[in-house]
This record gives sequence, C-alpha cells and structure tokens, in this order.
Amino acid sequence: MLRSLLKGTAPPSTAVEPEVHRVPPPLTLVEIQDAAIESRNLSVWYGRKHAIREVDLKIQRRGITAIIGPSGCGKSTYLRAINRMNDTIRNCRTTGQLLVDGEDVYGPNVDPVLLRRKVGLIFQKPNPFPKTVYRNVAFGVQLHYRTTKEELDGVVEAALREANLWDEVKDRLHDSALGLSGGQQQRLCIARALAIQPEMLLMDEPCSALDPVATAKIEDLMFELKKQMTIVIVTHNMQQAARIADHTAFLYLGKLVEYSQTRELFERPTQELTENYITGRFG
Amino acid sequence: MPQAAERKALERGLRSLNENMTTLAELSEIAIRKAVDGFDRLDPGVADDVFTLDQEIYALQLEIEKTCVDLLALHAPVARDLRTITTSLKITTDLDRIGRYAKDIAEVTLQFRGREPNHLRNTGSIPQMTELAVRLVDKAIRAFVARDAESVRHIQEDDDAVDLLHDRAFQELVDKMKSGAMAIEVGARYILVTRYLERIADHAVNIGQRVVYMVTGETVPRVRAAERSKA
Repeated sequence: MLRSLLKGTAPPSTAVEPEVHRVPPPLTLVEIQDAAIESRNLSVWYGRKHAIREVDLKIQRRGITAIIGPSGCGKSTYLRAINRMNDTIRNCRTTGQLLVDGEDVYGPNVDPVLLRRKVGLIFQKPNPFPKTVYRNVAFGVQLHYRTTKEELDGVVEAALREANLWDEVKDRLHDSALGLSGGQQQRLCIARALAIQPEMLLMDEPCSALDPVATAKIEDLMFELKKQMTIVIVTHNMQQAARIADHTAFLYLGKLVEYSQTRELFERPTQELTENYITGRFG
Repeated sequence: MPQAAERKALERGLRSLNENMTTLAELSEIAIRKAVDGFDRLDPGVADDVFTLDQEIYALQLEIEKTCVDLLALHAPVARDLRTITTSLKITTDLDRIGRYAKDIAEVTLQFRGREPNHLRNTGSIPQMTELAVRLVDKAIRAFVARDAESVRHIQEDDDAVDLLHDRAFQELVDKMKSGAMAIEVGARYILVTRYLERIADHAVNIGQRVVYMVTGETVPRVRAAERSKA
C-alpha cells in the first residue's frame, strides 16, 4: 500500500522544464567497489515538479561522499530519499530503486523507523530537543532499546565521546541543551544520532550555521566516523567538499551531471557544466 | 562556489595575472634573443640591455608570485582557475631561469671583449643550436599565450634535436681544444654557452608541458629520449 502511494506514475510532460535538456548525460568516473547505498533510475516528484531525475549513483561504504549543486538542484531531496524522510512530505512520490545494503528501502517490507535507525540524518540547523544534554542523547536509545540506568549512562557517554563533545559537556549533562553553542548543539545532534548506532549518516549542510572553529571540529569528527560508517554530505561549501569528501557528485536540475573522485572533480572536471559551477561562473 | 562579486574579483585577478605572465614571457624571449644576437656578433654593447631585462624579469616574477599567492589565499580557486594559477607559479621560475641564462650568455660575450678572430669558424654547431633553442622558447610561449595545448604536446621531441646538437658541439669543441686549434679558455666559454642553450631548451619544454596541464588537466609524462626512439 505504502509502496503504491510512494511510487506514483510520472506526471505529464508539461512538468519538464525546457532547460533540463541542456544538461549533458551523466558521467560517472569513479568505480565504487563496495556500495553501501545505491540509487537506480531514482526519480522524486513533488506534485508535478520532477525534483530528482533518473539518478544512478553508488555511495562507497566507509567513505565520505559529497553532493554539490546549486540551490534547488535536488541535493537535499536525494539525501532525504535515502532514509525516506520525504515520506513525510505531502505529494512527494518516488520511483526507481534506492538500495541500502542491497535492499530497496521503498520495498514493501521496509519499516521506515528501523531504516532511520540504520541511516541517521543531521540537519542544517542544529535541532536539539528542549531537554537536558543527557536526555537528548538518551532519548533515541530509550525509544529503540531497553536499557538499565547504568547501560544508558554508558551509551550517553560513549556517544558524546564519539562526537568529540564529552569533555565540553561532562559537567553540564543535566543543563538544557539549548544553552550550548551552535557548534556544540550540532555535535550533540550527531551524538544523538550515534547513540542508536547507525551504519550510515546523512548530513544536510551540517556546518552552514557554524563558525570556522566549530566547522573544523565537525569535519574532524567526520574523518573519525568514516572509519566505521558511511557518510553522505550535502554542502554548498566547495572547499568543505574538497577537504573532506572521497567522492563528489554534482547535481543540476535534478540530474546527475558528474560523479568522480573529489580531487579529480575539483582539479580537472570533465563536464563544462561542472567546471562552470565549481568556478562560480553560474549558480 | 564563489559568489558573483567574488567571482568578479577572481576574474580581475586572473586577467591581471595573465597580462603579467604574457609580459614576463615576452621579456624572457627578448632577453634570450638579444643575448644570442650579442654572442653571434660578440657585441659587448648588448650585455647592458640583457642585464636590465634580467632585473625586470626578476621583479615581475616576484609580483606574479604575490598575485598567485593572493588568488590562492583569497579565492580558493578550483578547476581551470586553479590550474592557471599553479601553472603560472611554476612557469615564472622557468621564464626567470631563461632570463638568467640569457644574462649568463651576455656575460660570456663580455669575457671575449669583442676579440675572437676565429669566432665564426669556432662556433660550429652552436648557431644551429641557438636557433632551435630560441624557436623552442618561442613555441612554448606562444602556446601559453594562446592556451594551445596541442602545439606543445610533443615539445619534448623537439628538444631531442637540441640535445643532439649539444652533444655534437661539445665534441667539436673538445676536438679543437685537444688539437690545439682552440685555446682552453676560449673552448670552455663556448662549452658554457652550449650548456646554457641546452638548459634554456629544457625550460621551454617545462613550459610546454605545463601548458598542456593548464589547458587540459593532463600531466605529460617525462620519457627519456632513448625510450621515445624505441617506441
């Protein structure tokens, strides 16, 4: 039932913007050996708007993949399609396949709640609950698992340590999370996601509201986390993508334009459209 | 991705860089042309011009380096912009070295004090080598100015001819010195000039290969002449 609701038929051709035809066929210059996430012919519609257009993309396990592109190109939509956050948007429909560990997340037997436990999402703006630091991290754990007080304490501490936040908050665990700085709040959100031990982390412009020091801390954290998990980051910041990502995908008007090793994409992009975007000639 | 205003600032910087690079290339080429012309005629009057050019080249090189560092620090360029800036940084060194070798040739010319009765007869393969080396510099510089990778993709092969002439000139000069037909001091000066010309051609090759990278992003592999001839 859910599948039929999600997989609507394609809208009439009037929905296609004419400039989309100028986007060249996608060029994938990287061979992904062990894909944690893979989209096949993935399309997403918001009503008649075709936001993601037949995107084929493989995301490397235990690596950082950046998705770049101008505003409205479908980066966040693609990211949210991975853990089915688009389900919460009215009139949003998805076709094609999106495989996480080889299983189509839009398949009939997939529980979105369990999927989101496996694939965490960090938003652009830190969004801690209006509760204590401790409760923020413990909340998801208590939702998914039965634990004793001691076990919960251990999980909270481990998650905060993993998010490089423990030393800064260990003496204020029972203060409101809203009193933390922006960077600390964002790392708290990451700790909250890590506490339920996801295998993949989706990050939607996680540093856009942070200063350079807080940004550097999140980037350091991502380097640590990628040793054990798969990270997909959407970013408007070209330097950030260049610094942290192993692979980078460029989307334009909902289409994949170029996908390659980050170093290659920023040093010698193959598509003129990519070159023009990353050098700021449009966007 | 740079914003529109930032992009304009970067474009301005790149335009200024390109103008300075073109001037630097022209100055280097003028320096080497003047130096070899002075050497051909053993005209010590040319030396001052070459020394002045060398100083101008050095000053412009410093200015270009500063522009490149500013552009890198302030705009974090990528793709073609990044390749243009890094290539310019590398090429300035080659152009500066060409200017320095021009100065060295002018100094050798001065050492002859305009007196070497057998100059034309002594030089053997040197005039031909000079012509090829200068032509190579001209070719590399034209490619840089026109952003023409194809014309210099095989510039290393052109340099083989200069290397061959260098070996031949060396042997000619050694033979003459051995037979007593040429004073050791005079022969040593000619050998120095052939060495400078050979290095100038090498720097022209560097420039050509970096132009290929700047335009296409490809790195041209260094292949030894012997291996190229086998292939």
